[in-house]
Amino acid sequence: MISRPMIAAILASTAAVASAAAGPLQVTSSILVEARSAAADGTTRVTLVKPTKVTPGDKVIFVLAYRNTGAQPLANVVLDNPLPRQIAYRSANPGSPAPDVSVDGKTYGSLATLRVRSPDGSTRAASPNDVTSVRWRLASPLAAGSQGQFAFQAVLK
Amino acid sequence: MLSCILAAGLGAGAFQPALAQTPAGTTPAGTPIVNTAGLRYDADGTAQSTSSNTVTIIVAERLDVALVRDGQGAVVVTAQPVAIPFTLTNLDNGAEAFVLAASVSPGAAILRALVIDADGDGRYDPAKDHAPADNKTPLLAPGQSIKLLAILVPTPDGGTVNAVLTVTARSITGSGTSGNLYTGAGDGGGDAVVGPTGALATVSVPIGTGPAGPVLLKSQSVRAADGSQNAVRDAVITYTLEARFTDAVTGARIADPIPAGTVFVPGSLTLDGAPLSDGADGDAGRFDAAGTQAGGTQAPGITVALGQVAAASAHTVQFKAKIQ
Repeated sequence: MISRPMIAAILASTAAVASAAAGPLQVTSSILVEARSAAADGTTRVTLVKPTKVTPGDKVIFVLAYRNTGAQPLANVVLDNPLPRQIAYRSANPGSPAPDVSVDGKTYGSLATLRVRSPDGSTRAASPNDVTSVRWRLASPLAAGSQGQFAFQAVLK
Repeated sequence: MLSCILAAGLGAGAFQPALAQTPAGTTPAGTPIVNTAGLRYDADGTAQSTSSNTVTIIVAERLDVALVRDGQGAVVVTAQPVAIPFTLTNLDNGAEAFVLAASVSPGAAILRALVIDADGDGRYDPAKDHAPADNKTPLLAPGQSIKLLAILVPTPDGGTVNAVLTVTARSITGSGTSGNLYTGAGDGGGDAVVGPTGALATVSVPIGTGPAGPVLLKSQSVRAADGSQNAVRDAVITYTLEARFTDAVTGARIADPIPAGTVFVPGSLTLDGAPLSDGADGDAGRFDAAGTQAGGTQAPGITVALGQVAAASAHTVQFKAKIQ
């Protein structure tokens, strides 16, 4: 049974999130799929579109578009995307900086530097399937009005 | 003296790679995939944190099915009903029922029933094993298998022509070309889409005419470049044809077409483990790039002349084909 004060607390926290999202750093998350079409010059054009259907084994592209809507530069910007449990990481999307990845949500680095501990105590090199979270850091402050995007490829388990 | 030609093409003429993933560990249809990114930054020297919008997609239902026969070789129908076992597997990522169909081409046997083997023991128990209502299976969970039995009896007039039993299973939600979309028909309110199997599986079983004739058993194994058994491009399939003879015969010959979608690996033909050259020369075997197959069609195939064969003997022919 939920008491009335708890409902009030939930409403208050929802409101807090909404107001925080209105802050100077705006990030729009989207899940897209590749659409291939023949271009006039005979090449194949790949565009990212909203999926009509996604089934296990399909490649999906996670895109984080960010923008500083404020009047001041923002320093030490970090975007952190814990992967949905049903999603297996593959790689950075072409054109996007590679994220640091984590297999435990604590230690981040390039995949080659990470190891996974097995139940018997031994460790092995991490594979893309082990990744549970990805993270990007902006090396320099994000100037007022500027924007960019990060993207990675993944597969639906 | 008997003379015989064994052709292995029945039910194996077209190579069908196992394209479908197993559903184990796959995400069930209707599952919402929810993503939110977290953000941190410093503004005016103060650490701030917030989050992105939340985006949600609903996993569609992929319609896939597998139907395999439990066992190999031609089936001989005697006076007693014969039960031929099959395994039907729901390769879907959702719960799905399947429409079943079975038929026998005119010949030595007729189909009495296609039943669900309730206890899965491969034996026909008329008290427990019933034909499903409207030829529809119950809903099967993702990855769930059931056993089927095709019950055959001899034709009343004692037909002696070799027959073929064909059993088909088709997803009720839809089937056909991979990628076909059934909007809103998936589990959990999402869409359903036909998967690599076409959501349709067919198995053909040759039905023999009597216990005295020779029997040819065909089996295959796949080896990919990475050491796996995945039927991928450039994987090599080793076909094994074992001919078993009850009586002494002369002029026995084994012929088998190279399955569509594969190419013969030169120099891979063997008889009882000894290599045979590909050319039409002194030894017993050859590869014919434009041979005439059983039924008169022109297709590449191998032929091995066994000649005189002793009673109660067996000979094994192997060859390799590469998936294109």
